[in-house]
Amino acid sequence: MSGTFSPRTVVQAIEEAAKSTTTGFRFIDENSAAEPFFTHGGIERASARFGGALQSLGLVKGDRVALILPDNTDFVFAFLGALRAGVVPVPIYPPTGLGKLAGYLENTLHIVAKSGAKVLVTSGEIRRILGTVQSKAPDLKTVADVETLKAMREELKPVKVGLDDTCFLQFTSGSTSRPKGVTLTHANLAENVHAIMDLGLGVRNSVDSGVSWLPLYHDMGLIGFVIAPLYHVNSVTFLPPLLFLKRPARWLETLTRQRGTVSFGPNFAYALCVKRIKDHEMEGLDLSSWRVAGCGAEPIRAENLNAFAEKFARVGFDRKAFISCYGMAESTLAVSFSALGQGVVTDPVKSEALWGERKALPAAGEAEGTAAIVQCGKAFPRHDIAVFAEDDAESTSPLPERTVGELRLRGPSVMVGYFGEAELTREAFAGGWLKTGDIGYLADGNVHICGRSKEVIIVNGRNYYPQDLEWEAGGVEGVRKGNVIAFGTMKPSHDRERVIIALETGTPEGPARETLKGEVRRAVQQAVGLTVDDVVPLDIGVLPKTSSGKLQRAKTRELYENGELMGRSSARQVDTVDTVKEVVKSQLGYFRHAILGGLTGRKEE
Amino acid sequence: MTWKRDIVRSEVLAILKPHAQGSVALESHLVADLGIDSLGVMEVVADLEDKFKLHIPDDALREVNTVNDVVAAIEIRLKNDGRLEE
Repeated sequence: MSGTFSPRTVVQAIEEAAKSTTTGFRFIDENSAAEPFFTHGGIERASARFGGALQSLGLVKGDRVALILPDNTDFVFAFLGALRAGVVPVPIYPPTGLGKLAGYLENTLHIVAKSGAKVLVTSGEIRRILGTVQSKAPDLKTVADVETLKAMREELKPVKVGLDDTCFLQFTSGSTSRPKGVTLTHANLAENVHAIMDLGLGVRNSVDSGVSWLPLYHDMGLIGFVIAPLYHVNSVTFLPPLLFLKRPARWLETLTRQRGTVSFGPNFAYALCVKRIKDHEMEGLDLSSWRVAGCGAEPIRAENLNAFAEKFARVGFDRKAFISCYGMAESTLAVSFSALGQGVVTDPVKSEALWGERKALPAAGEAEGTAAIVQCGKAFPRHDIAVFAEDDAESTSPLPERTVGELRLRGPSVMVGYFGEAELTREAFAGGWLKTGDIGYLADGNVHICGRSKEVIIVNGRNYYPQDLEWEAGGVEGVRKGNVIAFGTMKPSHDRERVIIALETGTPEGPARETLKGEVRRAVQQAVGLTVDDVVPLDIGVLPKTSSGKLQRAKTRELYENGELMGRSSARQVDTVDTVKEVVKSQLGYFRHAILGGLTGRKEE
Repeated sequence: MTWKRDIVRSEVLAILKPHAQGSVALESHLVADLGIDSLGVMEVVADLEDKFKLHIPDDALREVNTVNDVVAAIEIRLKNDGRLEE
């Protein structure tokens, strides 16, 4: 199939899909029974009108427009309208609530200023919240109300858009706290969409249909369910992200009703369905049409997906529909997918050797000391994935199969760079390969991810991944699951790295906590073979978190080293602006932030 | 069906209880005191909507910090519907 591939711009895809009168986008809104449906022809017309409106504001080809639009319909047409006018959209997540305004404004201002956006399109309410943002972003000329633009009837003046033109900027957080704008060209999009739809999912044009609750200001929702289906003329039904979080059953009901065949979610979404969907909500579900259930954007836990498959088997869910996905914004969206029709595949390896010698040695299935690493498939054709030692600055010596190192990427889906960040762009590459920062190995060319490089704990020359320690500690009775941070520290004596596990617990101070400490030590020792130097039980709400609720490992280490962790009071007393500044350090953090931000916001004090 | 204020209060406490770490008081902060995370809050909202047969828009959540705020958010909506007994 790759032989017949000829890349098109997203604009061409919109225009060519417009012939279809039966397929299109459907938008579900929580507050209304009506579910507006736009055919691909309707999408073409609505986006042309929006493009014309943006042109009437003085925007010309290559200009940037920032979009802060919580409503899915508004977002889709503003985004596509910008593309048709040759204007580069910059999606920004909506405000995180009044309580976290300072941090939100700071991040938003950074993105608006860095992107050089001339116009910001948003809702009336958010416009009021943004207040003085305009005066602080030198290039920003206009903050436009989306309702005003929708009311305009300007004709789109045709603009020639080529494959090498910038399509949009995807702001994402990485190792630095400031979001960076990944620059994606139409060629990047055409290549990655081809990889996803033709090579990865085997999508049938106009036949497969998607269902998505994913936020559209995040790559998985935007590229996977807005852009890719335009290329392949597929119908998609969109649900608001918050509706899914409130009532997860709505996701599966929509799949049932629309006979959806393709839908994706991060690991937590599947776990949430297992936890939250009640027996009476199972009635009437029929998931037998669901051909591809993708899982990506955060570490995949096979046990979560297995639990989902077990629970929903009786309503027709096929566990072989699962595919495990690896991706990142710097590679447009998708890097590799596990093969269709196999379900979740894991590679049982000896954990001792994985952590110690950095070798993934095959182990017998369930044996003691075995780690089951999820397999995420092979590189797409014309793309390369290789593993290098983290200190291989020029990517000169790829490591052999089953050797653990940093995954690096090459190929037509890889970004040209971060917008306006020459230095950060240089740092992102090593000898022409994109450094992912993810640690893993290849086995038969298949990608296996073990963790993130910066967080690795090294004890006596052995590497341990904090996620594994946290997972084990989180299984101990009395420990607040998901509220555990493991880290290494060279302090106080600098002789060796000491391993610390800080955790939140409802267990009161006293002998019960001492017992708990012992149990955590024992659990980690037995599972990972590592002795924990210190276990720090803390009251609920004490561990530092970003505004999205993501635990902050580096910050916790810093507090511990300064002797401030134990004396810390719960989050209520802590300077919230400070934690918000640290906002979202990983793709998942960003993702969670994007959809969850602000729901538990507290006022600045 | 109409609701008395003390019943509203006790129903809210009952809904929060299974999500909370430790005991629930009207002054408790949902996150800092009760350890309810963002996902937990959405679950609580769904339970509250089902119990009181009303809709709590996402915007309203921005103002909610404590159990008292939850009670107030429910009461004002019941009152607007004429379903709150004074």
